[in-house]
Amino acid sequence: MTLHQTLIYLLIAHLQFQSISTSDEDTFSEELLLKPLFSEQLYAHFQFATHWNIEPKNENYQHSHLFPRAVGEIVGRYNVQELHISLTGGLWRYETWGYPVIDAAPGAEVWAWFKPSTTNVDKNWKLLANSLSGLLCASFNFVDISNTVSPDFSFRPRGVVDWSNNLNNTFLRYATLPREIVCTENLTPLKKLLPCGSKAGIASLLNSGHIHNTKYHSTGLHLRHVCSSESCDSVALELQLSVSLVYDYAILGTRNWSFKKLFGHGLNGKCPLATKSNIYVDLSSSKTLNNFELSPEPDQIITSIRGGQVSDYALFNIPSKFLNVGVKYPEDFTLTVNIPPPIHANQYLTGYGQERGGIVTEIYNNHWSSLEIVILQNIAWYVPVYLHTLTITSGGQKLEPKILKYSPGKQREKPYYIEIALKLPARSITTVSIDFDYVFLKWQEYPPDANHGFYIGSAVVSAYLPLAKNYTGLPQDSATIFGSFNASRSGYLVQIRTENMVITLPTPDFSMPYNVICLACTVVALAFGPLHNITTKRLTPKKKNEEKLMQKVKKKLVNFLKKKTKTE
Amino acid sequence: MGLLTDPSGDQRGIIWFASLASPLFNASTYFSENALLPGLVKSTFKEDRFALQYFQELQDETQKHESSIPYSWLLAKFRQIGLDSYTHDFTLHSPLNPNDTYYGKNVYGILRAPRASSTEALVLSVPYRPPKSIYPSTLPSIAIQLAFAKFAAKEKYWAKDIIFLITDHEQLGIQAWLEAYHGVTCGNEGTLNHGTLKGRAGAIQAAINLELHSVKIGQIDIKIEGLNGQLPNLDLFNLAGKICIKEGVFHTFKGKTPKYFRDPYKEWLYSFKNMLNMVSTQATGVPNGNHGLFLRFGIQALTLEGFEQGKAGSRSGFLSIGRVIEGIFRSINNLLERFHQSFFFYILPSHDRYISIGLYMPAVCMIAAALIIKACAKWCKMQENHTEIRYIKVVIQFIVMHCIGATVMVFPELVKALNSDVSSTVSYGLPSVLVGSLLIPFLLKSVNHSEGSLNLLCIFGLLELGTALICLSMNNISLGIFCGTISVPFALIAEPTKNRIFKIVQALFWCLIHPLSILFFVVSINTFLMFHQENITEFVFRALDATKQAVIYSIADSMIYGNWLYTVVSTIFIPNWLCFWNVICSDFKRHNVNVAKKNN
Repeated sequence: MTLHQTLIYLLIAHLQFQSISTSDEDTFSEELLLKPLFSEQLYAHFQFATHWNIEPKNENYQHSHLFPRAVGEIVGRYNVQELHISLTGGLWRYETWGYPVIDAAPGAEVWAWFKPSTTNVDKNWKLLANSLSGLLCASFNFVDISNTVSPDFSFRPRGVVDWSNNLNNTFLRYATLPREIVCTENLTPLKKLLPCGSKAGIASLLNSGHIHNTKYHSTGLHLRHVCSSESCDSVALELQLSVSLVYDYAILGTRNWSFKKLFGHGLNGKCPLATKSNIYVDLSSSKTLNNFELSPEPDQIITSIRGGQVSDYALFNIPSKFLNVGVKYPEDFTLTVNIPPPIHANQYLTGYGQERGGIVTEIYNNHWSSLEIVILQNIAWYVPVYLHTLTITSGGQKLEPKILKYSPGKQREKPYYIEIALKLPARSITTVSIDFDYVFLKWQEYPPDANHGFYIGSAVVSAYLPLAKNYTGLPQDSATIFGSFNASRSGYLVQIRTENMVITLPTPDFSMPYNVICLACTVVALAFGPLHNITTKRLTPKKKNEEKLMQKVKKKLVNFLKKKTKTE
Repeated sequence: MGLLTDPSGDQRGIIWFASLASPLFNASTYFSENALLPGLVKSTFKEDRFALQYFQELQDETQKHESSIPYSWLLAKFRQIGLDSYTHDFTLHSPLNPNDTYYGKNVYGILRAPRASSTEALVLSVPYRPPKSIYPSTLPSIAIQLAFAKFAAKEKYWAKDIIFLITDHEQLGIQAWLEAYHGVTCGNEGTLNHGTLKGRAGAIQAAINLELHSVKIGQIDIKIEGLNGQLPNLDLFNLAGKICIKEGVFHTFKGKTPKYFRDPYKEWLYSFKNMLNMVSTQATGVPNGNHGLFLRFGIQALTLEGFEQGKAGSRSGFLSIGRVIEGIFRSINNLLERFHQSFFFYILPSHDRYISIGLYMPAVCMIAAALIIKACAKWCKMQENHTEIRYIKVVIQFIVMHCIGATVMVFPELVKALNSDVSSTVSYGLPSVLVGSLLIPFLLKSVNHSEGSLNLLCIFGLLELGTALICLSMNNISLGIFCGTISVPFALIAEPTKNRIFKIVQALFWCLIHPLSILFFVVSINTFLMFHQENITEFVFRALDATKQAVIYSIADSMIYGNWLYTVVSTIFIPNWLCFWNVICSDFKRHNVNVAKKNN
């Protein structure tokens, strides 16, 4: 595939036909994919999709049925075309785990397309971020223009747009909050957006006590417009809510997992409002080496051939009775050799001290042919990078970027934005490095725990893979895992997120002013008393007592006796 | 003038410094960082069984590899435990002989913390020593490292990745790994080729280097002195001590525990000896363990060295040692911010007391102030006497001295560039350059000195020495105190003189404090302590040979690790020494009829 084609793929949204439903009714589907990874982990992905047949133009999003009204209101008020949010704890390890269903950056990530009718995109973006902060109990209120970019290539609309001829990234906003710590308080509001809440159905498995003990947990909210019929004469609103978890067998204590071990309890029936309630267990790791025993017996085995990858899935239709899916491994266990996926990336800092440093992104192409990728870097304004130091090397050779988009940052106003289109040579490691300076901030700009450091968000490496090896992502035309079976396409989009980095900016000693205040106050207090006394009081000599000691004693005795006689 | 010409400032400084060892003048250590919460949790490590098993396997495995690291076995173990495991290759082009190349291989595994996204990391490192190594074995530490990895892999509370690092070739391995991790070269370009790393884990917050020589540990010595005299944060040192106490492991600093005497003098002497022990290690600027190389990168690190024989009766097994490691790592894991509280500059007279920078700096300042006051006094006196001064000549002379120093500094580089064997050329070339430079005052006879010019040169020398001492002790207090104590008394009495005997005495003394002579004395004392049965001639030759080795090692250290001892000595102390040498040995004509008043 030429680069040109790639860019077209990224640029122009597909007006694909929606395969979920053609009826006028709203639909809701709940699915759970369990995939034992080739390494010592288990991947669990919850996928909830709501489809709302609504004509966006003449509806005010107030009357919803299965669709969460809170989201509808936000969409209506801020003129949002598409909205993608992820809240993630931990890092998806592409090298050992393969590809997830939905990629997400560590921390919080949000991107949105606004409708072309929007007059003030920046204002709407700020308002949207504030509303989301309330909706999901996350720090989206810290999203503003100083950490937002509008990438040219990396984030094109995922759904249908009827304005593809004037598709313009001025209506796109992308921001990350790498410092965000994701926890229970983010999960609870997400569960409330589901039609059955967490009371019934697969969502009842989302037990925060258990799911935050994982190596990776990510919640996502993805809203887009899709065609409501095959002819695509009307458009519907689609909301995907997802929860991705990666359990580690070492932490779990056993390889023989079951719902009870993973989530604390089994499943008690499905959500009655759902049209599809399925559980899939990926059997591909069982097929190769370690045969595990699945209990209970699955209802169906689906074989999916997708992009050269054949995989078997055990399908469970959720019964109305209790269900506890589990596997049992044989006693003797073989360690498998991990085969890394076609493309994965790392990011790290170079240098030491607090003068100069560098950001290095390493992209591994393990595929047998060259691959085209787009790298997006959104670097905060307090990390001033120098474009002339940007070097791209692969195997000792210098690589020229096909396209380089750069917009310099501005202190406190705008982040540094770099987007590079590259052609990676076959079986290569490509290094993209750029140098930066450490800067001083104003003293109010340091966050609490200032010595923890400042975060640089992850880079996003987007690529269209020719093969679906180790790939579980959803095709663009589907919102369900079921839709990804046998879904061979011309390319498979992955958007790899690299590690966050933490840098130590020169930090003042914040306890010093406190010490100074203490010292100054002590000095003032000590000086003030005597000075005040000296200036306001007059020293007068006291009359000297001429009495002798014996006289004194005598006097005291007399006084004492007098008192005694009085009281008697 | 009485106060100004009184050179006893240095005596006061030295007395001040020495008295700091007494518990009356220093403070007991404490935890400054609340987030550490040391020893608050119940230890749960019980993988000591595995440690023993690993140890036995490892003993068998090392027999197969005489001089190389058994990396395949280590990689397999790391992978089995569930770590991301990698190897790291590095090459050293010998700084002393350009044709010599050495190869090394480090092995490391990264435990990915479940509670974070690889933004921060901790390191547990062990130097690997093959059976042929001259150093005591560290196999038990690798065994406990693996057992701890096995334990840590199933815990869910880690918020920082843990890197388990096994390094090859002692300090070279760790230096190469750190350089590769940070993508920088610290020494000379082309000397240590640090290679590349495949796996990383964010900013490293702290590192513990483990050197256990036995399965049963009688005592653990905590080592802190790093490259160029850098020290780890005092909180980390305190933490290691506190956890050792909690787990009942006998621990020491410089092989000693605090002792309590009734006699304050004895108490002071005991602490003072201990303090001198630390000062002498720190002054060399050579790390006394692999931890010392982390410090440059802002990573707080220390070495726990375990010996079989301890002063306490009982010995601790793998269980207690594992729990010590667990305690330390869980504490550091609690840290929200990197180490920034407590002290980075301190001297320890014992492991529970410290002398902070605020206490020891006045001592150095007093010593240096004596020089500066002396310089002022000289200047004032010169103004009174109206002697003839040739400013330009003095400045040129001063610059020439420093050019000689610079030549000494780049000498090994030049030799290396000429592609000849550095060690032999340097061992003959360097002394000849230095001896040659001794002749300068006699060669410059024709310059026709005046007393005033020599006095001015002396003033320059005094000011330079004073400034250098203060700057030096800001970075490496021990080196500063050491240089100050030795050179300042002599520098204060250095004076251009016509009196032959006084001149010869001065010159003799001044020769004694030439950096090379000092090095020779220090090395001789060391040699004497090690081989005191030998006869005199053998001893002198051995000491001379050791001195030669010391110079060459310091050159190699500066080229590989970026140790600046050689640079500082060659660019500041040698030129400064030459200045005074010139002052002492030059002949001059006395233009003034009035004999200048001598001060004592």
